[in-house]
Amino acid sequence: MTKFIVRRVFWTIPVILVVILLTFGLMRQIKGNPFRTSERAIPAEIQRNLDRKFGLDKPWYEQYARYVKNVATFDLGPSLVLRNRDVNDIVKEHFPRSLELGGLAFLFALVFGIPLGAVSALKANSWLDYAAMFFSNVGFAIPSFLVATLFIYFFVLQFDFGFPTSGWTGWESKVLPVVALGLAPMAAFARLVRGTMLETLQQDYIRTARAKGLRWRRVISLHVLRNSLIPVVTAAGPTLGFLITGSFVIEQIFAIPGVGRYYVTAVQARDYSVVMGLTVLLAVIVIVANLVVDILYGILDPRTRDVRT
Amino acid sequence: MVVDPTQATRRPVDTAAAPAHETAGAPIAQSNLWKDAWRRYLRNRAAVLAGSVFVLLVLYCAIWPFVSPYDPNEVDFALKNQGPNLEHPFGTDNFGRDLFTRTALGGRVSMGIGFGATLVILLIGVAYGSISGFVGGKLDNGMMRFLDTLYGLPYLPFAIIVTAIFGNVTFWTMVVALSIASWFTSARIVRGQVITLKENDYVRAAKAVGARWFRVLARHLLPNTLGVLIIAIFLELPGVILGEAILSFIGLGISPPDASWGQMAQEGRLVYRVAPHIIAVPSIAIATLILCANFIADGLRDALDPRTRET
Amino acid sequence: MALLEVNDLSTHFFTREGEVRAVDGVTFSVERGKTLGIVGESGCGKSVTALSIMGLIPRPPAKIVAGSVVFDGQDLTKLPEKRLEDLRGREIAMIFQDPMTSLNPTLTIGLQITETIRRHYDVSKQDARKKAIELLEEVRVPRAANRLDDYPHRFSGGMRQRVMIAIALSCDPKLLIADEPTTALDVTVQASVLDLLDDLRHEHDMAMIIITHDMGVVAEAADDIVVMYAGQIVEHAGVQELFDRPEHPYTEALLGALPQLEGEGIREGRLTAIPGRPPDLINPPPACRFAPRCPYANENDTCTTHMPELREIRPNHWVRSAHPVSEREGSRLGTEVPV
Repeated sequence: MTKFIVRRVFWTIPVILVVILLTFGLMRQIKGNPFRTSERAIPAEIQRNLDRKFGLDKPWYEQYARYVKNVATFDLGPSLVLRNRDVNDIVKEHFPRSLELGGLAFLFALVFGIPLGAVSALKANSWLDYAAMFFSNVGFAIPSFLVATLFIYFFVLQFDFGFPTSGWTGWESKVLPVVALGLAPMAAFARLVRGTMLETLQQDYIRTARAKGLRWRRVISLHVLRNSLIPVVTAAGPTLGFLITGSFVIEQIFAIPGVGRYYVTAVQARDYSVVMGLTVLLAVIVIVANLVVDILYGILDPRTRDVRT
Repeated sequence: MVVDPTQATRRPVDTAAAPAHETAGAPIAQSNLWKDAWRRYLRNRAAVLAGSVFVLLVLYCAIWPFVSPYDPNEVDFALKNQGPNLEHPFGTDNFGRDLFTRTALGGRVSMGIGFGATLVILLIGVAYGSISGFVGGKLDNGMMRFLDTLYGLPYLPFAIIVTAIFGNVTFWTMVVALSIASWFTSARIVRGQVITLKENDYVRAAKAVGARWFRVLARHLLPNTLGVLIIAIFLELPGVILGEAILSFIGLGISPPDASWGQMAQEGRLVYRVAPHIIAVPSIAIATLILCANFIADGLRDALDPRTRET
Repeated sequence: MALLEVNDLSTHFFTREGEVRAVDGVTFSVERGKTLGIVGESGCGKSVTALSIMGLIPRPPAKIVAGSVVFDGQDLTKLPEKRLEDLRGREIAMIFQDPMTSLNPTLTIGLQITETIRRHYDVSKQDARKKAIELLEEVRVPRAANRLDDYPHRFSGGMRQRVMIAIALSCDPKLLIADEPTTALDVTVQASVLDLLDDLRHEHDMAMIIITHDMGVVAEAADDIVVMYAGQIVEHAGVQELFDRPEHPYTEALLGALPQLEGEGIREGRLTAIPGRPPDLINPPPACRFAPRCPYANENDTCTTHMPELREIRPNHWVRSAHPVSEREGSRLGTEVPV
């Protein structure tokens, strides 16, 4: 198991390098100039100086190598647009909010999604199951911007529950964005858990567990749930992508100064180093999440350990 | 195994397997397969309903703009922000334009981009997956490792970067942006299917009688991945439609005057305090489409592959 | 009184296509310390019978619609689920056909054995582990103590079935139900698992029901044999009697004694297969269920319009057929068979 984890951890290094390279390559294709504010052209001399300052005059592989070196030392470089601001500062300021938003939404999705799916599966084809699955299917399909907007419209404008409509300060300001962001993953978890649990309940080893005389409660909590959670763990990776995508919308609607909102601003301002830095940051998060998922998977399902080591 | 009496006693359908040497027998078995699948699909009430709604939605978007009594671009501030009523079943927008007509037009853009991107995703997926699965060995291993690497790419940021590369966002820009970081799963599915099929007797038989590799691939392997691909269309569509809507909503969608559902929602976002229906109408259209696609995918999966469900 | 008495048991599956009479009026009993073999081809209801005894039929769609299962004086069909849980694994244990899927792949076999012990006895974890090692040694798993913390996928099929047997034996049950215990195993392993079962039955003084489609399996192990066909018992006799003087045409076929309709099988010296398939168990016609496949039945027979009763043709030899061997004209071999 330790061998498997070590190998898996080392494997993320080339993955991160390739992902940085791809991001780097794509970013270089973007035309337009961050220093060219409005119509006024910048004198060639100044342009050259600026290019030199940010290393843009070097061949691409040198720029890449330098960038990788910087990333390795947790230095994402200066902002091209905001003077005296490093990308690191921007990350430090905005990322914790996004992380909290995403983390809470993920927690919300787990805490409500798994029981909802489990109850649905255990009471399959009852009205409770139908209601839960109707809710899940609809919750999964509705775009988050409608959910967020409706939340504000009903819970703030129509019936004032005391939630603010913007910002990220007290807990009151966090409830609506977290639920709006977590709703779709929650629905996805519920559907997934229901499906895998129904499948697990059909397995021969569940019948064995019952034939041993185990209490129904233990059969469910140990044998059924444990095995049903394996697909949930593997789904956590895509869910993270879901949360990142959703956070772009939610941060905009609730005016939360997080990474997603800043990202859009940076793209529009052509602040490449910021876009680059934030993209790499998000990619690393996804990669690390996939790593954690694989390791958890190895713990939950002993069969995979033998195959891989 | 619990004995399933329905299985045990049902008279097996006469599936006279084509003799191994007669590989031309495969298409006959195929047509039975599709007929069977269709019958199974029709038995799934949710899937049939979803399919019908889906077709209606497509027809509405395709036809209504021609039939509509309203000019979708005619501004009339006297009529602005009306809620749903008899004359305007979906109400009017901030410029007094008929939303029922504009939703159909927006649907054309959204679905056009959605199907376009899905097609691109599947094309890349088929190319990558079938080469990887068919050649196998080291190449397969390397290609799959590379695919693992790509799974680290966050979808939306990459889509945003692509729109930034092109600067002016058009239909095709959008298609590229939405497919660039979403073809990985379809490549995996195709590879898996090709590898499974490669082990089938009739493929082995075809190889044994000396069929060339591209013939085996084109005639035996790819046609048999068709079922999986049809399912994949409806699995990919929701993500792409939603992706387009989100890009448009955060202001990085295709340039006006073309309106997609996402852009309509963005416009509605500005006036949701006075007229919440303007954001609700296109969003519900998106939700309906996604809901239908999900149920259709479920139905197709059961119909085309009744035993093994994807886990 | 016998340890287990199954009376007129009927278990039906309520499906969209209709009510499937998977088990239709089955009666038999098992004495303490004796072995009963239930034989029949797949889908004949033998597994459903076993699961009905255990109260493990999938509900829905299955339901016990009639009859009783009296074990040690109490009717299991009337017991509440909690009481049944106390009984399962403790008084009645069961092992299943496919050892590859019958153990939970994500839990160590040690846990899967000890959880059974700790469910039924109030013992410490350490004691349960000790007992588990003893059990694994008893079922002849090599290096038992080292293998307790292994996961099932590290075991071969035969070893897994031994683990299943160890679990079944862990609480010294009075009755062990073995549902096709060797079908999924390699031929070479089958014999050793069967020997093991037989040894353990004697040592633990258990009664056993062994379910199989293979006459060879029950020939050695069983005292009594029940032959099932299409949800019903068609023949029931002591093992010696049944093998020496089978009465039902279906039993004959299972024993490979039925004349072939086509000469091919005989010429090639192959074991005979029975032509045709078991009938649909949704609304079966009021006729002998074997009639469509029976070489002795023709359209004018009463058995194509009336269900033959299970009758005692000789003492302790019951048969359900209008054409038992002893009532047929002429000798079995050489008779022209009407097609």
